[in-house]
Amino acid sequence: MRRSIRIVGGLIGLLFVLAAVAWSGPKQPVPVSILMPAPYADASTQLVEAFNREHRGTIQLEVIRGPLETESISDLAISSLLLGDTPFDALLMDVTWLPKYAEAGWLEPLDPWFDQSALDQLILGARLGNHYNDHLYRWPLGADVGVLYWRKDLMEAPPSTPQQLSDIAIKLVQSNRVTDGFVWQGRQYEGLSCNFVEVLHGFGGQWINPANGQLELDSTSAARAAEWMQSLIATGASPRAVTNYSESDSLQAFKAGDAAFMRNWPYAWAELQKPESNVRGKVGITLMVAEPGQSPAATVGSWGLSLLKQSPHPEAAVEAIRYLTSETAQRERFLNQGYTPTSQSLFTDPDLVAVSSALPQIAKALEHSVPRPPSPLYAQLSDLLQRQLNGLLTAEPEQTNIDVGTATAASAAAMNRVQTKSDMLLKATGAEA
Amino acid sequence: MTVLLALPALLLMAIVFGWPMLRYAWLSFHADSVLTGLVPIPNGGANWLRLLTDARFWLDAGQTTRFAMVSVGLELILALAIALLLDQRWRGRSAVRALSLLPWALPTTMMALGWRWIFNTPYGPIEQLAEAAGIGPLNLLSTPAVTWMVTVLADVWKTTPFITLILLAGLQTIPEDLYAAFRLEGGTAFQALRRVTIPLLLPYILLSLLFRLAQAFGVFDLIQVLTGGGPAGTTESLALYAYLNGMRFLDFGYSATVMIGGFLLLSLLILLGALLLRMSGALRAMQP
Amino acid sequence: MSMSRSWLASRHAVLVTLLLIWSLAPMAWQLISSFTSSEALVNGAIPFEQRWTLIHYRELLSSDPPFWRYLLNSTVVAGVSTVLTLVLAVPAAYVLAQLPLRWRRGIRRAVMAAALFPYVLLFLALLELARNFQLGNSLFALALPYSALAMPLALLLLTAAFEGLPKDLDDAARLEGLTLRQRLRWVMLPLIAPASASTAILVFLFAWNEYPIALTWLSRSDLLTLPVAMARIAGSSIYSIPYGAYAAATVLGAIPLLLLVLLFQRQIVSGLTNGAIKG
Repeated sequence: MRRSIRIVGGLIGLLFVLAAVAWSGPKQPVPVSILMPAPYADASTQLVEAFNREHRGTIQLEVIRGPLETESISDLAISSLLLGDTPFDALLMDVTWLPKYAEAGWLEPLDPWFDQSALDQLILGARLGNHYNDHLYRWPLGADVGVLYWRKDLMEAPPSTPQQLSDIAIKLVQSNRVTDGFVWQGRQYEGLSCNFVEVLHGFGGQWINPANGQLELDSTSAARAAEWMQSLIATGASPRAVTNYSESDSLQAFKAGDAAFMRNWPYAWAELQKPESNVRGKVGITLMVAEPGQSPAATVGSWGLSLLKQSPHPEAAVEAIRYLTSETAQRERFLNQGYTPTSQSLFTDPDLVAVSSALPQIAKALEHSVPRPPSPLYAQLSDLLQRQLNGLLTAEPEQTNIDVGTATAASAAAMNRVQTKSDMLLKATGAEA
Repeated sequence: MTVLLALPALLLMAIVFGWPMLRYAWLSFHADSVLTGLVPIPNGGANWLRLLTDARFWLDAGQTTRFAMVSVGLELILALAIALLLDQRWRGRSAVRALSLLPWALPTTMMALGWRWIFNTPYGPIEQLAEAAGIGPLNLLSTPAVTWMVTVLADVWKTTPFITLILLAGLQTIPEDLYAAFRLEGGTAFQALRRVTIPLLLPYILLSLLFRLAQAFGVFDLIQVLTGGGPAGTTESLALYAYLNGMRFLDFGYSATVMIGGFLLLSLLILLGALLLRMSGALRAMQP
Repeated sequence: MSMSRSWLASRHAVLVTLLLIWSLAPMAWQLISSFTSSEALVNGAIPFEQRWTLIHYRELLSSDPPFWRYLLNSTVVAGVSTVLTLVLAVPAAYVLAQLPLRWRRGIRRAVMAAALFPYVLLFLALLELARNFQLGNSLFALALPYSALAMPLALLLLTAAFEGLPKDLDDAARLEGLTLRQRLRWVMLPLIAPASASTAILVFLFAWNEYPIALTWLSRSDLLTLPVAMARIAGSSIYSIPYGAYAAATVLGAIPLLLLVLLFQRQIVSGLTNGAIKG
C-alpha cells in the first residue's frame, strides 16, 4: 500500500515537472513576413521596428525588400506561387494585380477581419480595387489619383472642359508665355492607360461596363476621347515630345516652368514646392477636365496589403496589416515621405493640411476616383490599348492642316481595333462570352 | 539486350525535347489561363487567330530575326579573324586562347547588368569619356537604336569565342601544302583567304551559322536582364514575350502558341537559308 | 599560312593586345567598380586614393543568404547533372557506336537537331512538369532537365570517341571473358577518358550557365543558382547605381568559372573542336 502511494506520488510529481518544463520554455514569436517594393519597404522601417517592440515575444514582423520595378515584385511573387511555395505571408499589391491573384486562388479573403464600418472610413479612392467577386482581398496602404496641375500665375481659374484646356494651352503657347502648354504621359506604357481612362470618363465613356463586363471602347465617347488626345498634339496644345513622356519627364518640364498644365500624381506637388522648382508657390491642383454634363474622373493607383492563402499565420499577419495601415502609420508615412493617406478623416486633419495645402484638392480627386478594368487580364488589355493609342498619337498628320474628318476616322479606327483585339484576347483565354 | 543501355539517355532526351513541342501544339488549341484556373479548355483556333493579328508578336518576330542575323553575322566575321590569329603557333598562344574563352564561360545574366553599367548615363565609363570629349550626355540606353546595338554587342562578346573554337578546328584541318601551292602560283595572302581558306572552312562556317542562328533566335537571358525588353518593347524578343505570357500574364495557352509560332518561323528561316545556299551554290557551279 | 604569317606577324602584337582588351575589358571594369566606393562610382572627381573600399564584398558575404551560397548551389546542380549525364551517356554512346552506319547517321542527325534547339522554348512545358510532379525548388530535380539538355552534346562527343577505338578491342576483351560492365569499366572508359573529361567540363559549364529553367524551377532565395541570383540582384537595385555591389557579385561569381576555364582549357577546346569536326 505504502509502495503504491509512493509510485503514484512519484508519477504526479513527474507530471508536474513535465508540465513546468513544457510551459516555461521560451515561447517563440510568430514570424510574419511581407514582401514590398523597395521604396515602401524603406518607408516602413520605423513602423516595423515599433510594431516589433509592441509585440515583442508574440509576433516578429519582417519586411522583405523587393525589387524597385513594380512588375518585378509581381514576377517574384508569381514565380514562387506557381511552384506552390509561399515564402511570405503578405504582399503589397498594386490595384491592377489584384484580380489576377484573386482569380488564381492565391489570396485569402480578408472579410472576417475587416467589416463594412472599416471600409466606410476609407476615402473613395482607397475603397476601390480591393474586392473581387464580392470578397475583400486587400486592405489599402496608400491611394493615388491623377490630378491636373495648373499655373496660377498664367490664368485666373483652371479649365473645366477639354475644349477650355486646349484653348488656354494653345493661347499660352502661341503668345510665348510657355513653350509646352499641357504635358502629360503619352509614352507606350501603363501611364498612358491611366491618362486615357480619365479623358475617357470625361467624355462620358468607360473602358469596361461593370454591369455586364463588356468592353466599350468602340463607343463614340472612346473615339472622341482618343481624338481629343491626338488633337492636343496636332494643334500644338501639347508638345510632340509628350508621346515619349513618363511621369518624371512631364514633371521635369512643368517644374522648369515650361508648361502651363500637367497631369500627374499627387507626389509631384511636394516636388514642385522644393526650392529648385521654378514654379514654387504658383501651382494649383484641380480635377481633370470633363465635357459639360460629365463627371470629372481621376484614375486611381493604389497599393494595399493582401494575405496569401498558404500563410501559416494568418491572424498574426492581419495584425501586422492592421498596424501598417492604421491612422498612426498613415500619418507618419504622409509626414515623412508624402504618401497619401487612406482614411477620410486624415484629409481634413489640421496637422496634415498644414504640411500640404493640396490635401483637400487631392481628397476631392479621390472622391472622383475611377478604377481601371478589374480583369485578371488587365495587363494584356492595357497593352493593346497603349499600343494603338500611342500609335495614333505618334502618327504623322497626313496634311499639315488639321483635317477633322480624317482625325476622327483614325481615332475611331484605333479604338475599334483595340476593341476587336481585346475581344479576341478574352475569347482566346477562356472568358465567358 | 545491350540496346537497353541506350534507353535511359534516349528516353530522357525524348521526354525533355519531344514532349514540350507536342504539349505546346496541343495547348495552342486550348484556353489555358488564369481565367480557366490554369486548366486547358478547348477553344478551337482562337489562340491562332489572336496570334495572326497580334502586333506585338510580329514586332518581336521581326526584332528577334534582325537581332539574330546581325549578331551572328558580326560574330562570324570577328571569330574568323580571331581564329586566323590563333591558328598560328606563337608563344603564349594557349594562354591567350584561354583568356579569350572567358566571355563564353560566364553566365549571360552576369555580364548583362555590367553592360548596362558600362553604358549608363551619366556614370558609366562610355558616358564619362563622351563628356570629357565634349560630346555631352548621350543617353545611350534611352534610345531604342543604341540599346539594340548594345544587346548585339553583348551577344557578340559572349558567343564569339565559341565560334572561334569551331572555326579554329576547321582551320587546323587545312593542310599547309595548299597554301604553299597557292603561293607558288603567285597568289596574295588575301586571295588565299578567299580562295583556299573560306571554301574549305565552309562546313564549319555553316555549322556555326546554323547553331548560332537557332540560339540567337531564342535569346532570352540577355534581353530580360539587360533591357527587360525596353525601351518601350523595342528590344523584346520572342522568347521573352512567350515567357511574359506564361509567367506574368498567366496565359499558358497563348505562351505555347507564341512558342510554336516562333519555332515555325525559325524553321522557315533556316529552310530559306538552306534554299538560298543551294541556289547560290548552283549559281556558282554554273559559272565558267 | 606562311604568306599571311608575315603580314600578321608584324601586326601580331597589336592584334593580340586588341583581342585581350576585347575579351577582358568588360570584366576588368567590373573588377575596378567592385573596389570603388559608392560615392566614387557617381563622382569621378573624388581623388584616386579615396576611391577604394572593400565594403561591397563585405555586404555580399554578409547578406541573406550569403553570396557563396549561390556558388554552392550552382556547383551542386552542375555536379549532379554532370554525373547523371555521363552515367547515362557513356553506355548509350557505346551502344550507338556499334550500330550499323545507316542508323548511326540518322541518330546523329536527330541528336544534332536536338543540340541546335533553342532550349528556352522548353520552359513552359518543363514548368508544368515541375508543378505537377513537385519538382520545383529542388537542386537535385533540376539535374534531370539539365542532363537531358546536355545529352546531345555528350552523345556526339562520346560516340565519336567510342568510334575511334579499335574495333577488335571489344571482341578481344569479350573473348577474355570480361562482362560488359567489366569491359566498359576497365578497357573502354580509360581509353575514352579525354573525351569524357571534355564532356564533363562542357556539361558542367552548361549547367552553371543555364538560366530559363533554373529561373522557373527555383524560387527560394537560398536555392538559387548563380545566373538566377545575379538576375535577382540586378532587379533589386533601388537606385540605378549600386553597381558596386553588383560588380563585386560579378567578380566573385566569375572566379570559379575563370579557374575552371584556365585549368581545363585543353579539354574544353578539344571537346568543342571534336564536336565541330564530327558534327
